[in-house]
Amino acid sequence: MSDDWKLVCKVEDIEMEDLIRFDHDDKTFCVYRLEDGFYATDGICTHEAVHLEEGLVMDSEIECPMHQGIFDIKSGKAVSPPACDDLKTYPVKVENEEVYININ
Amino acid sequence: MKNEHKNILIIGGGQASAYASQEIRKHDSKSTVTIVTEEKFLPYERPPLSKNCLVDKRKYEDCLFFSEKFYDENNIEVKKNIHINNIDFNKKIITGNSNCKLSYDKLLIATGSKNRELEFENNDLKNEENILYLRNIDDSKKINLKIKECNNPVIIGCGFIGLEIAASISQFEKKVTLIEKSSQLMGRVIPEEISKLVKLKHEQEGNIFFLNSNIKKIEKENKEFVITLDFNKEIKTDLIIIGVGSIPNTSVFENSELIIENGIKVNEFCQSSIEDVFAAGDVANFYHPHYGKYMRLESYKHAQNHGIFAAKNICGLKESYVDIPWMWSDQFDLNLQLSGVCDDYDDMVSRGKDIREGIIYFFLKKNIIHGACGLAIGGKVAKNIRLASKLSEKKIKISKEILSDTSTKLNKYL
Ligand SMILES: Cc1cc2nc3c(=O)[nH]c(=O)nc-3n(C[C@H](O)[C@H](O)[C@H](O)COP(=O)(O)OP(=O)(O)OC[C@H]3O[C@@H](n4cnc5c(N)ncnc54)[C@H](O)[C@@H]3O)c2cc1C
Repeated sequence: MSDDWKLVCKVEDIEMEDLIRFDHDDKTFCVYRLEDGFYATDGICTHEAVHLEEGLVMDSEIECPMHQGIFDIKSGKAVSPPACDDLKTYPVKVENEEVYININ
Repeated sequence: MKNEHKNILIIGGGQASAYASQEIRKHDSKSTVTIVTEEKFLPYERPPLSKNCLVDKRKYEDCLFFSEKFYDENNIEVKKNIHINNIDFNKKIITGNSNCKLSYDKLLIATGSKNRELEFENNDLKNEENILYLRNIDDSKKINLKIKECNNPVIIGCGFIGLEIAASISQFEKKVTLIEKSSQLMGRVIPEEISKLVKLKHEQEGNIFFLNSNIKKIEKENKEFVITLDFNKEIKTDLIIIGVGSIPNTSVFENSELIIENGIKVNEFCQSSIEDVFAAGDVANFYHPHYGKYMRLESYKHAQNHGIFAAKNICGLKESYVDIPWMWSDQFDLNLQLSGVCDDYDDMVSRGKDIREGIIYFFLKKNIIHGACGLAIGGKVAKNIRLASKLSEKKIKISKEILSDTSTKLNKYL
């Protein structure tokens, strides 16, 4: 459904190899910009309910700012402990220099 | 060799042990893997015990690293309630209570550390139910109940754990008195400015500090205690919590040929002075090739990764452990993070002006980051502390101008 796409920000609002936080209703997400495009995951670490927004984005991975669990941004897979459950990922599209997330 | 059946035994059921057992199974599905622990629980995380668990924001049951199902599915046996009290390194046999006698081909010692005890003149106080220490779930549960009932709590020792407990008690709108024998909070590895900012935050929340203060005596008066400091200041309290540091848990091995110097001495492959005997986590004094020296750490990430590396080496992979040390502490809304070694440097520089944006002190040696310590509200220093570890690990030279300029992103220099 087309209205499942939510506007996140302008392309230029996210720096390369970085992320921004996006809140919608009572849910929170991270939207990333990598060399090959934009990606999105749940915003909260699966280990101890900490927001990932202050985490380090590097080599297509996001590292939790609090306990350094690491997830693959594209697949959401937990790749380094203490993270063990994967992050949910969401489709992202860019239209007219704007970034949209499909959170359905 | 990898597929040969071995008896792999792990003494201690904490963090290093849990991650070691998981890693062994990634390389070896045949060997017997047994964890022997004196605790009645499966391995669990300790950091929440002084933080969220004390303020009922996290349940104790949710602190396990892995569920029972994980150990079952991976064929890892966890023998609980067994304290190992003897070890014969020649015959390769360990013994414990309840007639426990087990042999091993490879042994991992992961017995962690134990609380340093405060010397009391009056030994009767040792068993007082309102004088407590914090190490395990049972201690934390007791403290959780006591801090709700107490009126004028005192913490002895301003290390991380003492301060975290104080911050937790403050959530119940109680003022805590903290006593510390040295001149600064959290020891000398923390930059003075950061320890001052943490102190200020506690004071803003109503906590009171007595630094440079030695305890002359503690006496019981009815249901309360009176603590007398060396300058004759008297402090009345109904609850004393002691956090005066920890020591490696090596007493079982003390009369053996195992080399122990501030913990069990191991090389970069987690091997001890005895063949087939490895050690990991808080109990190990390990050789760190990056710094060219031995170190013993009491930190979460180290226990996790050292356990993993011990397992790799037990499985014959011969991989050296070179992780840059990292730890954190949470107090109120403040998050402190430390990476590398912060007490051995020839230059230093700071970044950021206040705890809102985050303040980090970088410690350099020959223009290479040797350590970094930061403090902020929330996780604002996390990214740059992590980048400091990476820059340090790769021995990348970086100028003080770049490090102190908050508008320059540090990931560009990796
Ligand atoms: C309250 C608290 C808060 C902490 N907070 C932080 C934090 O915020 N950040 C951080 O980086 N680190 C923190 N730490 C440190 C971190 O939890 C430890 O470094 C880590 O738990 C060490 O893991 P380990 O496996 O080496 O030892 P442990 O987790 O201590 O496990 C050792 C186990 O061995 C058992 N054992 C010992 N001797 C025997 C024996 N003879 N026979 C059988 N069993 C035995 C013990 O009972 C214990 O279960 C905290 C620690 C505590 C206690």
